[in-house]
Amino acid sequence: MAARDPRALHAVRTIFHVDMDAFFVSVEELFDPGLKGKPVVVGGQRDERGVVAAASYAARKFGVHSAMPLRTAAKLCPQAIFLDGHPERYREYSHRVHEILLEFTPQVSMASIDEAYLDMTGTERLWGPPLRAATLLHDRIGERTGLNCSIGIATSKMLAKIGSDFAKPNGIAWVPPGMEAAFLAPLNAGRIPGVGRVTEERLREMGVRRIGDLARLDEDFLLRRFGQWGLALAGKARGLDAGAWFEGEIGAYEDPKSISHEHTFSEDVRDAARLEATLARQAEKVGRRLREHRLFARTVELKLRYADFTTLSRSRTLPEATDLDADLIAVSRDLFHRTWKKGAAVRLIGMGVSGLDEAQGQVSLLEGGKKERARQALAAVDRIRDRFGETSVQLAAGMTAEDREKVHENPIGLPGKAPRGSRKSR
Amino acid sequence: MEFTVSKADLVRELGLSQGVVEKKATLPVLSNVLLEAAGDTVSISATDLELSIRCQAPAKVSAEGGGTLPAKKLLDYVRLLPDEEIRVKFSDTNWATLTCGRSKTKIAGLARDTYPEMPPMPEPLAELPVGLLSAMISRTVFAIAAEESRFTLNGALLVLKPDTLTMVATDGHRLALVEYPNPAGLAGEQRALIPRKAMLELARLASDAGGSEEQIQFAMDENHLFFRMGARLLAGRKLAGNFPDYERVLPRSHAHTVTLPREEFRAAIERVSQFSDERSRAVKIRFGDGEATIHSSLSESGESEESLAVDYTGPTTEIGFNAIYLLDFLRATQEEQVEFHFKDPQSAGELMPAEGEHGYRYRYVVMPMRI
Repeated sequence: MAARDPRALHAVRTIFHVDMDAFFVSVEELFDPGLKGKPVVVGGQRDERGVVAAASYAARKFGVHSAMPLRTAAKLCPQAIFLDGHPERYREYSHRVHEILLEFTPQVSMASIDEAYLDMTGTERLWGPPLRAATLLHDRIGERTGLNCSIGIATSKMLAKIGSDFAKPNGIAWVPPGMEAAFLAPLNAGRIPGVGRVTEERLREMGVRRIGDLARLDEDFLLRRFGQWGLALAGKARGLDAGAWFEGEIGAYEDPKSISHEHTFSEDVRDAARLEATLARQAEKVGRRLREHRLFARTVELKLRYADFTTLSRSRTLPEATDLDADLIAVSRDLFHRTWKKGAAVRLIGMGVSGLDEAQGQVSLLEGGKKERARQALAAVDRIRDRFGETSVQLAAGMTAEDREKVHENPIGLPGKAPRGSRKSR
Repeated sequence: MEFTVSKADLVRELGLSQGVVEKKATLPVLSNVLLEAAGDTVSISATDLELSIRCQAPAKVSAEGGGTLPAKKLLDYVRLLPDEEIRVKFSDTNWATLTCGRSKTKIAGLARDTYPEMPPMPEPLAELPVGLLSAMISRTVFAIAAEESRFTLNGALLVLKPDTLTMVATDGHRLALVEYPNPAGLAGEQRALIPRKAMLELARLASDAGGSEEQIQFAMDENHLFFRMGARLLAGRKLAGNFPDYERVLPRSHAHTVTLPREEFRAAIERVSQFSDERSRAVKIRFGDGEATIHSSLSESGESEESLAVDYTGPTTEIGFNAIYLLDFLRATQEEQVEFHFKDPQSAGELMPAEGEHGYRYRYVVMPMRI
């Protein structure tokens, strides 16, 4: 790893992990200060299906955590205020934070809507030593957005992430170079991102409870016991960014590989018109994201889950790549009608795109002019939405959609809070 | 049923039916050919329910009747027999016994009464030389859409007018149009959408014809198209739906024109496109001062560039195209020089044989790629 990165040969890396404190709840508090200090749950109403997207610290005291079913949260904390949430506000504030981060270094990776990694290596002459830089950053975010965050500083992404968790709420934690092993040694092995219950259990059987115990184990032994993951574990125990996700370079811009939206209905739906409307709204949002990223999609996918949890996915590759809502709606609707058993109760519906490309590629002969006009119209619509919000312009087809959007602070697939939170609550 | 037929005749006629027989037939009987002996001929029919073919071979018929046999198995076997007479005898159990020289084989067939009837051919509308029809097909068939979702584009449009015959095909990215003077003369106008498979079979029949002057009879009923060449008959279901209004997308004028030697142009694109992106097959053509440069942008495999000297003094214009689309036209056209008409990187380009007396009109409109 070190050999691949020239910077690593010369200097110790300085990585910041910036994690917004109770992000969704804090944003809600900005708009309704009356919520401050109260147990608040964002994600839906208490009697609805679906999961907790975020919980205030006051609610967390009752054992509520993200990814928990809303109904469970309501049982644990009946006095909590349940909010549907405002995804567009969260995105807006996420953008604002991102912009501030970029003032400190161009090497910024947003790991999710409310957390980011910054490679601050070599910025000392500009921002001073790490702790001073972190303080400046922390205060600037507070001044400009009114939001609190916690920052972890370390020589690796993984340690920085553990550090920010350590610093919560509203603090800064620095693991100075050379202190990695000493910092990690007393922590439970489960604190390592990616170590879930299963691995933790297996480690415990081997007498490994703390990260220090793990660090003392022989690499070959771990390799035999856990395969490649064992080697990653050994590296992590010493504070290195080992294993799949952490290896990426911060700030190396990656286009999304796919964009999708899905919706779980609070009650199963059998009405074709309502399902179509939901699909149309989703397609409109996906189209908007495509254009935001300046991407064109070749493949449209449909996801359908019936009341009995049977889940169907269908996809179609288009003759020409598109970023137009109308195309996405037409194809996803057609896929829907080919897939849906008429009248069957649907629990979840979703659509998405993949096969993304920066270039439009082949231009259509028969519909080229029409599509170009649609593209210009959508560009105007997008500008209006930029100024007046996502709901300022909507397609009539999606108007009747049940369109409360679910955004999760930690999307699945990223080292997240959910498993760690649930362990802590045990 | 019992008849004797020469091996060569049987192999040739069976061969013509193979393209129609479905590879993965939904009904078992569609994997079979129907053999019918009557008078002094045996007729061989195949169908996939959309397209049907009937061929004939001279035979000594000792008992008239019909039966079906697996098309592929039959041809594969008969092909291996010596060049002699083959005696075919069907039993009541739908089995056929083939005797040829010292070879004797029993093949399991299926009852003929389940075999779909071929629609009867109505009065012919026109008689066209085979060579003309196959020339029209080979200049357009490649532009037919492969995606089944665009079903009205899964065939070519044939327009018969009193003095012209036009065939148009498009897949929504490019369009090929060929127009010949109508040698037959015709009252009124007729239009038909010919499915791709019917065009390919027609081309196959045409290539097996005695000469390009042999006449082909063309007829239509409400749902079918018929082409008869001698004793061979092809009947295909018309494609339903409306073909797009192709006249609307034909450029009415051209900003710039470059004349290129077809063979050199084709070879250059072929070489450069080896290094184009494998999925998009995009190449760029830059028309600059006295030069047309074809190049592929950097892909994983490398990059490539070639230029041809041309007579051009207009503004430098660079346009992206799918190399396959350009090659399709350059392979289908015969003339030594081709004209490339273009305007800008967003507008359709058009290729056609360079000016001269060709006796026909050939236009190929191709949309650019944005890369």
